[in-house]
Amino acid sequence: MIKFILNRLVMAIPTIVIVSVAVFTLIRLIPGDPAALMLGDMAEPQQIAEMRSVLGLDRSIPEQFVIWAGNILSGDFGRSIVTDEPVLHLVLSRFMVSAEIVVIAVFLASLIAVPAGVIAAWRQNSLTDLALVGTATVLLSIPTFWLGLLLLLAFGLKLGWLPVLGYVPISENWKAGLLYLVLPVMTLVIHEMGVIIRMARASTLEVLRLDYITHARAKGLSESAVLWKHAFKNAFGPTWTMIGLILGNLLGGIAVIETVFTIPGLGRLMVDSIFQRDYPVIQGCLLLVAFSYVVVNLVVDLLYPLFDPRVVAE
Amino acid sequence: MKNIFLAGTMLMSAIGFAEARDLVVAQSSDIRSNVPGVNRDGNTDSVIFHIVEGLVGYAENGEVKPLVAKGFEVSPDGLTYTFKLRDDVKFHNGNAVTADDVVWNWNRYMAADTKWTCAGDFDGSKTIKVSAVTAVDPSTVTMTIEKPSAVFLGLMARPECGYTGIIAKDSVGADGAFVAPIGTGPFKWAEWKKGEYVRLEKNDAYVSPANDGKPDGMVGSKRPLVDGIKFMVIPDASTVKTGLLSGALDTAEVSADLISEFKDSETMQLIVKRNNGKNLLYFQTRDKVLSNIAVRRAMAEALDLDQLVAAVSNGTGEANGSMVSADSIFYSDVQKTKIPMDLEKAKKDLADAGYNGEPITIIANKRGNVPSFPAAVVAQAMMQQVGLNVQIEVLDYATQVDRRRSGNYQVISQSVAPRLDPALMYSFYVGNKDKNASLMWDNPKAIELMKAAYVEADQAKRQAIFDEFHKLMLEEVPGIFMYDMVDIWGATKKLHGEPVWQSNTRLWEVTLDD
Repeated sequence: MIKFILNRLVMAIPTIVIVSVAVFTLIRLIPGDPAALMLGDMAEPQQIAEMRSVLGLDRSIPEQFVIWAGNILSGDFGRSIVTDEPVLHLVLSRFMVSAEIVVIAVFLASLIAVPAGVIAAWRQNSLTDLALVGTATVLLSIPTFWLGLLLLLAFGLKLGWLPVLGYVPISENWKAGLLYLVLPVMTLVIHEMGVIIRMARASTLEVLRLDYITHARAKGLSESAVLWKHAFKNAFGPTWTMIGLILGNLLGGIAVIETVFTIPGLGRLMVDSIFQRDYPVIQGCLLLVAFSYVVVNLVVDLLYPLFDPRVVAE
Repeated sequence: MKNIFLAGTMLMSAIGFAEARDLVVAQSSDIRSNVPGVNRDGNTDSVIFHIVEGLVGYAENGEVKPLVAKGFEVSPDGLTYTFKLRDDVKFHNGNAVTADDVVWNWNRYMAADTKWTCAGDFDGSKTIKVSAVTAVDPSTVTMTIEKPSAVFLGLMARPECGYTGIIAKDSVGADGAFVAPIGTGPFKWAEWKKGEYVRLEKNDAYVSPANDGKPDGMVGSKRPLVDGIKFMVIPDASTVKTGLLSGALDTAEVSADLISEFKDSETMQLIVKRNNGKNLLYFQTRDKVLSNIAVRRAMAEALDLDQLVAAVSNGTGEANGSMVSADSIFYSDVQKTKIPMDLEKAKKDLADAGYNGEPITIIANKRGNVPSFPAAVVAQAMMQQVGLNVQIEVLDYATQVDRRRSGNYQVISQSVAPRLDPALMYSFYVGNKDKNASLMWDNPKAIELMKAAYVEADQAKRQAIFDEFHKLMLEEVPGIFMYDMVDIWGATKKLHGEPVWQSNTRLWEVTLDD
C-alpha cells in the first residue's frame, strides 16, 4: 500500500513540473505589466523600470523560472506582487474556504444523486426513470452563475431567509457560517447532481444486464438485495471515479460561484490575480490546484477497494 | 407555507444578523494595502480618504484649502510656504498633531524605503524640488521649494499621494514596518479581512476644519455620522444590485443600465454626480494614418458628440470637448468650444488627406464602471458614415495599459481618473513621447503651455494659458474629449447625504435612518 502511494506521488511529479513550466511561461507571454498596474497611470517609465527590477521581472523568463523553482523547493512560494502577502499562506487560506464549500456540496450531491441514478436504472424506461433523467439533464444545462443568482434572489432577496452577501468561516461561528454556506452549496449540489445521476444510472444499467444479476434474481433474492448488495457495489466504481474528478475540478474552479456569493475562495483569488498579473499568486494557485487534483484522485483510487474488493491498491 | 416562511425568518434572527449597524458600501476589489500613497489604487484611496488628512485638501471647485493646517502663506518669491497648524486636530491615538509630526511625515514619505508613489513629484526629478521642511515652532511648519510652482499644494492633496496624509509615528513599528494608519480623519482604521472587507470606526473626537456646515470636497464639514463603515469587496454587479435591494448594502457604485430601475424604485435612490475625470478617444499621433491631422480632424467631425454622450452615459453625461472639467473654475467660454459635427467637411478632409480606407483600430475594454466599449461602438458607427474604416479591438484592462504604455495603438477609448487642477490633467497626455511612449501629444507649444501652467499662480494668467492650450488642441486634435466622467451610485432611501465625490467613496456627513 505504501509503495503504491509513493509510486503515485512520484508519478505526480512530472505533472506538477509540466503544469508549473506551462503556467510560468504562459502567464508571462500574455501582455500586461504588473509593475505598471501597481504604480498606476501617473508613473514615469523610469519608475516602472525600477519596479520591474525590484520584482525581478527584468530578468529573462528562464532565469526567473530557475529562481522561482529553487525557492519553491526550499518551501518559499514568494510574495504577492499586489498585497505583499506570503503566497503559500494566502493560497492555502483561500483554498480552505473553497474546499469547505466544495466538499460539503459534492458529499450532499452524491448522497442524493447516486441513489437517484440507481433507482432510475432499476426502473428503466418507467416514468420515474424519465423524470430523473429529465431532471438531471435540466440541472446539467443550467449555468451555475444564473442558478446562483436565482437562488440569491429567491432566498436572499424575496424571502429574506438567507444572507445575500459576505462569508463567515464555520470555525469562527458555526451557526452563521452554515447559513452563509447554504446558497453556494445548494447551487453546486443542484448542478453537480445532474452529472452524478446520469453516471450512476449508466453504470448501474450496465451491471443490471449482467448474468450474475439474473442469477441472483433466479435464486429468489429480493429486488432490494439484488440492487444494493449485488448491483450497486459493482456499479459504483465508475461513479466514484467521476465524483473524484468533480471534486478535483471544483476545488479550483468555482470562481463564478465565489464571485456571485462574495466568498473569498481560491477561484476568485485566481481570477483577480490574473487581472492584476500577480504572477506569484497565479502560479501558487495553479500549483495547488494541480496538486489537489493528484491527491484527490489518489484518495479515490485508495478507497476503490472498499467498494470493489477485486481492485487491490498495488 | 406561512410556517415555512416564519421559520426561515426566525432562523435568520436567531443566528444574530442584527449586529451593530455600520454603513455598508461595496467596492469592486480589495484594497492593495493600508499604507497611504504606497501600493494603491482607486479603492485603496477611497478607504484611506476617511482615515488620513493632509496639510491641505481640495475643495469642490478645485481650489486648495487648509485641512490639518489652519492656514498657509506663500512668500512673495513663491518659494516658501508657511503652514500654521490647527490646535484642535488630534491623531486617532489621542496625541496632538505638532510641527515635528509634519516634518517626520515628510521625511518618511521622501525616504526611498517608503516607496511613496509621489516622491518623484517633489524630489526634483519632475518640476518641483522641496529643498527644506522645517518645524519653526510646535504649530508652524515651513516648506521651501526651489522654483515657484502653481501646483505644489495641489500635488500634495491628490488621492494618488495618499493625500500626503499626516499620520502618527506609531503607525510604523519599531522595526520600521508599517502597522496601520493612525491618522486624523473622521474614521479610524479597525479591521481588514483580506478579500472580504475593511472596517473603519467612527472617530468620536473628530473636529472638522473651518466650514459653512456643508461637506466641500476634502475640506468643509466632515462629521462622522455613522458608527462605522464596512467596505465590502463585491466584484459582481448583479450581486451589488441584490445587496442594495435586500438592504445588505447601503450604497454602491452601480452600472448605468440600472438608472431607470433605481429612479423609479420606492426603496432605492439614484445618485448621479459629475466629476473631473475624462472619457476620451486617445490618439497615437505618430501612427502612419493618424499622424495626418486632417484624418484626426475628420474623425472628430464625424461625431455627433451630444448624441454619443447621451447614448453612452444613459443620459447622465454632457458633452465636453475640453481637457478642463466643466466644474472647474477654469471652464471658460473658450473651453466650451468644440469641433462641430460636419459630415461633408469630414469627407472632404479625408479626401484631402489621401485617406484610402486604411483600417483604424479603437482599443476598448469592458470594465463595468467606464464607458470604454459603448463609446467605441457608437464612435465606430458614426465614423463609418464618412468612410472611415474603423474596427474595435477589445482587450482586458492590463493589456490595454500595456499597449498605451508602449505606444502600440492607434486609438484607445480611455477613461482618466479625476485631477482637479487642469495642469495636472494635461500632464497625463502631454510631453515628450521619446521619453514616455504612453503620452498622447508632444507638440512643443503644448508642452511649453503645460509647463507655464505649472508655474503661473495668477488665476487670470492661468486662464489665458488654458484657453490658448484648448485652441491649439482643437487645431491639432491629438484626441477627442467626449465628456466628464459621471459617478452613478445607488443607495437605499435610508441613506442621506452624498456618498461619492470625484469617484472616491466619501461617507462623512452621511447618515442612515434606523
